[in-house]
Amino acid sequence: MRHRLLAAVLATTALAAWHAPAQAQDPRLARRLPDEVRIPIEALIDSARARALPAEPLVDRALEGAAKGAGGERIVAAVRRLAGELGVARDALGSGSTSAELVAGAAALRAGARSDDLRHLRQRRPDRPVTVAAGVLADLVAVGVPPDTAAAAVLALAGRGEDADYIAFRRNVERDVALGATPTAALTVRLTGETLSSGDAPGPTRARKP
Amino acid sequence: MRQQRNDPIERAIDTLREPVELRPDFERRVMAAVASLPVPRRAGPLRLVAAWMVTARTVRLSPLGGLAAAAVVLTALLGGRALLGPGAESAPLGAPLAADGRAVQFVVAVPTASTVALVGDFNDWNAEATPMRPVPGDGIWTVLVPLGPGRYRYSFLVNGTEWLTDPTAPRTMEDDFGRPNSVVTVGGT
Repeated sequence: MRHRLLAAVLATTALAAWHAPAQAQDPRLARRLPDEVRIPIEALIDSARARALPAEPLVDRALEGAAKGAGGERIVAAVRRLAGELGVARDALGSGSTSAELVAGAAALRAGARSDDLRHLRQRRPDRPVTVAAGVLADLVAVGVPPDTAAAAVLALAGRGEDADYIAFRRNVERDVALGATPTAALTVRLTGETLSSGDAPGPTRARKP
Repeated sequence: MRQQRNDPIERAIDTLREPVELRPDFERRVMAAVASLPVPRRAGPLRLVAAWMVTARTVRLSPLGGLAAAAVVLTALLGGRALLGPGAESAPLGAPLAADGRAVQFVVAVPTASTVALVGDFNDWNAEATPMRPVPGDGIWTVLVPLGPGRYRYSFLVNGTEWLTDPTAPRTMEDDFGRPNSVVTVGGT
């Protein structure tokens, strides 16, 4: 009798544990989104979890939509799009990538970088995080640098650049652009300075694959 | 025999060109005068700095460097004031510290605001989670937020209704909801 009871408890616990991810409700979503929006978003999040993608960035995106008063369809579309970008970033950066790296990689993809750019970035920084490098790529595009030029610059710095170097590089380019330089010229000048100081050959531009 | 010229300047030149006859003891008197002068003290660091500061120098700047210097001066003169939108004025006081920090300071100037909140990926986009503190009398609002390495999107929410990007930080390309965000990237290496 005692063995049957123990088996029943174990079976129930195991079933609950197996079933839990598909039914997990994030209380933050439940508090701030109506059911007709929350339910499809939770399905997207469950699907992302099943693909070993981080859930938190998706929750954040949904909460941002709620905070800004966006419509339900728009919020769902934004979460779906981000989930797709996180998946592409994970495929390019590798399954061992951190959530922060995937978020930055997704931002770089949104800015116009190619998945190959992220793959090359990982290859050149195999033992160091690529969060800041990928984020700076996205930031450079945001100030007007063409995506392929920004990617080439970030890759040129990838072998030796520390996070602080990347951030300083981005700030310098932004400052030059704010002072009137064209984004590409500012990036080229700054990159040439970086490469001359390190002895590397400059390579701010490259042919883009069709 | 030189010709006499009428122009006063030319006459002065002629006069100056005439050789000067020195007295035989000229050199001895000069050396005696030099010997009578007090021995100069060795200049200390402050004296050297002061001498360096008052000496005219040629500074070489690239056009880009010149523009940067001009911008620094302009920023100092104007206090970095920039109009951001109706009812809101913001002075960029420095981008969030992001190189390798754990505590990131956010600063924005909104003189007309009665409340300003920092809202972003780090606080569930909750307008009540991170209220900013006003600096008395300046219209400046600030808050310090501990952040781990990562890339975070955020905005300022003014008076609970007006979304404001950070003029000192990059904007994101991910504008899913029709209102752009700013972004701060915190490094770890």
